[in-house]
Formats: sequence, C-alpha cells, structure tokens
Amino acid sequence: MYSGAPSGGIAIGGGGGGVGRGGGRTWSSTTSVSTSGKRIQKEMTELSMEAPPDCAAGPKGDNLYHWVATLFGPPGTPYEGGIFFLDITFPSDYPFKPPKVVFKTRIYHCNVDPSGNVSLDILTENWSPALTISKVLLALRSMFTNPETYKPVVPGIAHLYLGDKAKHDEVAAQWTLRFAR
Amino acid sequence: MVNEELKKSPHNPKTFNGEKREELFSPRFKSVAAMAGWDEEALVIASLVVEETPDRQHKQKKLTGLQHFVTPPTNSRRKRRAQKTSPASIRIALIDLDDDDSAKTETEKKKLGQKFTGKGDKEEVEASEEHGSCVFSSGSAIVCTDLLREELSCAICLEICFEPSTTPCGHSFCRKCLQSSADKCGTRCPKCRQLISSGRSCTVNTVLWNTIQLLFPKEVEARKAAGALNSREVQHRNPARIVASHPNVSRSSTDRALASLRNPDSGSRNPQQRNSHSISRSRIDRVLALHSTDSGSRNPQQMNFHPISRSRIDRILALHCPDSGSQNAQQRNSQSTRRPNVRPSGTSSRNGDIRKSTRRESPPNQDEDAALALQLQREEHKETFRTRRTDEQYKNALALARANLRAMASTAINNIRVRGRGT
Repeated sequence: MYSGAPSGGIAIGGGGGGVGRGGGRTWSSTTSVSTSGKRIQKEMTELSMEAPPDCAAGPKGDNLYHWVATLFGPPGTPYEGGIFFLDITFPSDYPFKPPKVVFKTRIYHCNVDPSGNVSLDILTENWSPALTISKVLLALRSMFTNPETYKPVVPGIAHLYLGDKAKHDEVAAQWTLRFAR
Repeated sequence: MVNEELKKSPHNPKTFNGEKREELFSPRFKSVAAMAGWDEEALVIASLVVEETPDRQHKQKKLTGLQHFVTPPTNSRRKRRAQKTSPASIRIALIDLDDDDSAKTETEKKKLGQKFTGKGDKEEVEASEEHGSCVFSSGSAIVCTDLLREELSCAICLEICFEPSTTPCGHSFCRKCLQSSADKCGTRCPKCRQLISSGRSCTVNTVLWNTIQLLFPKEVEARKAAGALNSREVQHRNPARIVASHPNVSRSSTDRALASLRNPDSGSRNPQQRNSHSISRSRIDRVLALHSTDSGSRNPQQMNFHPISRSRIDRILALHCPDSGSQNAQQRNSQSTRRPNVRPSGTSSRNGDIRKSTRRESPPNQDEDAALALQLQREEHKETFRTRRTDEQYKNALALARANLRAMASTAINNIRVRGRGT
C-alpha cells in the first residue's frame, strides 16, 4: 500500500540541475509554461545557494516540474531524528497555482492523510504566487512543531493531540522510528 | 609596520592627515571624541564626508570613509582598534589581496620610498589610498547590487521587475506578473493578501522603472529581447514595429509601410494605430514630406540608420498636439490652402478620411515600449516652451513653420541617438 522510501532520493539537492532545462524548452511556445520553467529554475539555484535549515529540495530527474524534497524532523518534537521524503509536483502555470506536495514517508500527523496528502492552507486556498518552495518547506517544518488541529485531515490524531499529547507524541515517535529512519 | 608609522608621524608632521587633524579639531574636542569612542581618523572622515570638495584626494578619502562608516565605530573594541591602525597596515593587507602586477608596483614604490624617505612615504600613502578605495568600493558595489537586485526583483517571477507596477498596498511586481496573478489568483496582493481594486488597470511605476533601467541595463535588455521573441503576434498586429525592427529595410519600403498605415482603407487591420494620436498625423506627414523632399541626400540616410526613430517621432509629436489644441483646429481649417505647397495631390480628401476614422478612440496600446516614458517626458518639457513660440510663427509663414518642424524632428532624432537604444 505504501512504499517506504522513494527511489529518487539520490536526486536531492539539485542533482539533475543541468538536465532540468529540457522541461522548459519543450513547451517554450506558450509563455505561461516558459515563465514557470524560468521561475522553477530560479528557485532551484536559490535553494542550492542557501537552503532553509534542515531542508533539501531538487528535481527528481530530467523533469524540472517534478521535485523531491527532504525534511528532517525538528528536535524537540516526536518527529526528531526522522527523515521525511516529499514529492513536489509543479503545475504548468506554477507561480499562479500552488505546487502539489505529498509525503512519501509515512507520518503520524493530523494534517497528513494516510496517502501522504498535506492539508496546508497555503497549498490550497491561501496560495500566493509570491510564495516559493523554500517558504513551503518552512511552513511544513512549522507544521511539525505545531499541528493545525482545527482543520485536521485525520480527526482522530487531532483529538489525541488535544486530549492526550503525551500519548500522541509517543505514537508519533514510534511511527518516526519505524518509517522515517 | 607599527614602527614605520611611529617614525612617520613625528618626521613629517605636514602630511595630509596630520595637517588636517591639526586644522580641524581642538585638543579638547578630540578628548571628548575619544571618550565617546570616536578615534581621530573617524572624525576626519566624518568631516570629509560632510564637505563637498571637488579635490581628487578628498574623494578618495571620502570613499574609504564611507566604507568605515558602514559599520559604526562604536561596535566593538577590536573594530575600533582596527580603525586606529595606520593606513600602512591596511595597505599591506590589501596588497596581499591584489593581483601580482599591482603588488609588484607597490613593492617597487616601497623600494623607492626607502630610498627617498620623505617623498616616498607620501607616494605610498597616496597609492595605498587609491588601492584601498578601489578594493573597498568594488566590494561594496557588489554587495550593493546584490541587495538592490533582491530588493528590486519581482516576487512572482523572481527576476528584476520588468515594467514594475505598484499595488495600493505598496508592493511592486512586474506589470505582466501582477496582471496574470490578478487573473488567475484573484485580486489580492501576492505579498500581503490585501485587496487590489483591479489588477487589470495597473500602471507602470515610472520612477521605479526608470531606476531599474538605470541600475540593471543588461537585465532589462535581455528581458526585452526575450519579450520581443515571444510577442511575434503583437508585432503582426503592429506593422510599424516590424518596419522599425529591420534596420536594412530601404526607405521606399518604409515609406510604403507608413503610407499604408496612414491609408484608412488598409487601416482596418491595425486598430491600434488609429488611436487619439493620429490627430497629429497631418503634422507628421508634413515632417516626413519635408525630410523626403527638401533635404534630399542627408536625411534619408539618417532615417535608414535610425528607422526606429520614425515611429518614435510619431509618438513624440503626438504628445505635443494636445498642448496646442486650439492651434490645431486652426491648422485643420486652413489645411486645404496650405497643403498643396507640400503635397500636391489628393491630401485633403485623405485627411478628411483620417479625421473621420480617428473619431473612434481605441485604448492606447499597452505594449508600447515604456522605456520611452522618461524620454517622452523630457521631450514634452522641452517642447512645451518651444511650441508656444512656434505656434505664433506658424500663422505667419509656411517657411518658418517648416524650419521649426524640421528642427523639432532633428532634435528628436538627435536626442534619440544620444540616448541610444532606448527600445
């Protein structure tokens, strides 16, 4: 049902940097796609220059529009010590439509559904074209430290978090140990 | 190093620095300044920054001074000490950073300095100052441009803002980026989510745009070139641009193209050309006619060399027309009598057609190069004074009017040439 670690993990950190251009070139006739390609490339170079703390992201392979990102569980949380892989898919009209972010590593979190889809407001209705992937990664990191319990995808986890945080943390740490190492 | 300095100060007390200090500050002031943590050098520098002197040495000092002032002198003990160290010590550190050639010359100068102690020292000081300012200023320039690049880049495309448009909440983006954001993401500011009244009617922030053009000419040019490649369709709609973009097009063909533009029968293809500007067509016609007939051999070359300038002249002249509205009416009334002098055949009827067709006012072309904004503004300022004079003369004699129009056109061409590739 769920594959633990993705195979594309090697491409992290701009592995396919040079090859990534092809993605933009093939559709260069329409302006929207070429602008999205340009923007993604810009973000890639910026990420390789200075990545946000405990994060890494880069194209999976040749395709500029398909990225892999890693998040390290922040210390002081039950996710500490875990490495979480994410798939990021950019739409063709990217800066104007949000990227799709999916957890590839299983995580016990009230804002991540069993298939890995993240419910984050800035990735849906509150997306702004001024947001970048590094900002999204920062938002995901802050989601680790304080989950959004008012609009959870998995209400059971949110209930447990609000009612018995110690229990919640224990289970989350167990999951981290099991799936994210 | 330190010894050198110690030697220097008593031996030649009339060096530049020594003199200055003695003149500028009383010992009491110096002591107070020392209590405040301001060393003498910093004070000298501060005074030099305030002064506006055309002297070259002062300028160099100023540059180094500004460098020192980037970090406030009371930051830390170590920094203060570093500032107190002699220019000589700074100089040596800089030599190490420099490339081999300059280092060699420096060592040579040092040798000279050892031979002729007095003069050599002074030379060294000057040279070191020069080097110091060079290295520092180039370093700071890089830092500055990086900061500016970040500050002036559009949050949507992450590149330098191209034709920046500022939202009511004060955030600036490329005009096109903001428009497509408003189309696709709703009329909220991408940065602060405040409501923008309408992304459709966004205008270019001219001050910001001119600043960006001045600061990053390369990037702007590259972006323009890319834009020109992308907007082939736009050019199809606007034949004048095609003509202008081909420098090798012969004069006759440009004439034909322009004639077809003026001709209302074929004008249905290009609605952008029939905007409010074309009231001034009659004037432009005359200017162009003058260029072709009166000043035979010289001007066609000019026009061929700067084919772009013609469309620009059109626009520039078009701007001046509203200034002299009443006079225009007079012109139009008396055109039938004047016209035959310039153009003998069928002009009046054509003119009438144009006037009819111009009643319909289409919105001004948004794709017109905004690079012209600054230029047009300047031209306008210049010409408002001139047109007042010419308007009176215009009534008197056609010859005078001709001369004036020719002058206007030539100044416009010259200005365009001087300012260079504005498109």
